[in-house]
Amino acid sequence: MKYLILTYGTQRDYDLMTGAGDGAGPTLTPEDFAPMHQFMQEFTTELAESGELVDTKGLAAPVHTRRVQLQAGVPVVTEGPYAETQEVLAGYWLVEVASFDRATEIAARLAACPSPGGIWADAVADIRPIDEYSGGPEL
Amino acid sequence: MTTVEDLLRALAPQVLGALVRRYGHFDTAEDAVQEALLAAATQWPARGTPENPRAWLITVASRRLTDLLRSDQARRRREDTVAQWTLREAPPASDADDSLVLLFLCCHPSLTTAGQIALTLRAVGGLTTAEVARAFLVPEDTMARRISRAKKTIKESGLPFAAPAPADRDARLGAVLHVLYLIFTEGYAATSGPRLARTDLSGEAIRLARLLHGLIPLDDDGDTGGGEVAGLLALMLLTDARRPARTGPHGELVPMEEQDRSLWDRDLIAEGTALITAALPRGATGPYQLQAAVAAVHDEAPTADATDWAQIEALYELLTRIDDGPVVALNHVVAVAMARGPLAGLAMLAELEAAGRVVAGQRLHAVRAHLLERAGDTAGAREHYLEAARLATSLPLQRYLVDRADRVDSPAPNREHGDPPNTATEGPA
Repeated sequence: MKYLILTYGTQRDYDLMTGAGDGAGPTLTPEDFAPMHQFMQEFTTELAESGELVDTKGLAAPVHTRRVQLQAGVPVVTEGPYAETQEVLAGYWLVEVASFDRATEIAARLAACPSPGGIWADAVADIRPIDEYSGGPEL
Repeated sequence: MTTVEDLLRALAPQVLGALVRRYGHFDTAEDAVQEALLAAATQWPARGTPENPRAWLITVASRRLTDLLRSDQARRRREDTVAQWTLREAPPASDADDSLVLLFLCCHPSLTTAGQIALTLRAVGGLTTAEVARAFLVPEDTMARRISRAKKTIKESGLPFAAPAPADRDARLGAVLHVLYLIFTEGYAATSGPRLARTDLSGEAIRLARLLHGLIPLDDDGDTGGGEVAGLLALMLLTDARRPARTGPHGELVPMEEQDRSLWDRDLIAEGTALITAALPRGATGPYQLQAAVAAVHDEAPTADATDWAQIEALYELLTRIDDGPVVALNHVVAVAMARGPLAGLAMLAELEAAGRVVAGQRLHAVRAHLLERAGDTAGAREHYLEAARLATSLPLQRYLVDRADRVDSPAPNREHGDPPNTATEGPA
């Protein structure tokens, strides 16, 4: 069965990673984030090796979001609709695994992901079942 | 499928078997055979099929294996090249033995279930990695890794290319049957929802089950396991017979009692029924035979109301002695309720719950709702249909359960029967 593992972040989180912050917090260097990137790479490689990974992608910063919505019957495009501190989708792993429990076990490993000074120690990951019919013969 | 493809898929396990028996190197030989099959698939339609297609494939695959091993060894800068893979004296074996040994090897318990399925389809079924990937809706790269990982496991375990020891044979045959069953149910699941260009997995599972039935036919004393092989093949045929009636015009699930039975495939029903009728009286009766017998009772009923539920109840009675899992238990409850009334079913359900034999999931609530509805408890039925809908992860199933909840309250006369789609069994990952 397939599951989508989702992680979230804010524009501020992205800014911390790129040093594009407003200078309010500590300035973090790429070296500070190296353990995190290494962890993620190993995490993903392991999933690929086990044949459970279907796809994974990281999303560009929330500021690059475009939103399309109807206004007076016309689709109107707005740029960057998110507040700086709003948590939005940051990345995903689509996995195909034996059970919901296995998908959960995989996602739980993300809790061990290091972040500089533990700034993201309280990050969450969601596990969403893909809508696929799975059933045996009717008997 | 074209005749060339049919031929290639039939020959695939024989060619691989011949190569591995001669040279060993299962993992590399499997790649070599894939390449030979691809070469044949492109050349034969244009130039004609060779006089001895099997020999042609073995020759081409052997050459390719030699090349692959050479480059492999060159890469490793090894000095002792040729000695590693010269022809060794192999005990003579038939193609049938080879195909069977391959099946046992691909379904070895040291592999993950997903690995067993992928390897079986490729090495025994003769499908390409791309075809297997398409069938499971994953990228080819994902499937390639899954297959190579399975082959690596076989290589590292040092598994011999030989039939399992007599003491292990039953368990190993059970693993093979389970893998074929999972391939079938994956194809079965694919028949609902959007129909994409998927390899017909149900058809492939039936083809492999036929192959296995040919290798391990019915025997009189039930020693060889042929009875359960026949049971599994019959179960597949009797289930697949209902395929044309399973989905409505919008891809929605149509539960069995609402299906248009004129759409059921009579030939498949006749074949499946003959198989299970021949298998049941011989040797020990296993779970696949019992499930096939249940499927046959359903398929023989001209209308849903004419279903011989007493016979189905008796079959589930036997099945629960072999399989005490929640899926069988709940199906047993439904059969009891259909044969002896909803109150008998509800009483049994309460017993099973008290004994911890069933888990409080979607299927449990759906069955309880159904029995309450038939017992006239509309409020209870509605509550449990909605609870089942809340727990269902599949949208068509959720839609079905919500509709049932709405129908409970409607003044229109309810259908007397209406078993929710059986989705308690989980297909392979």
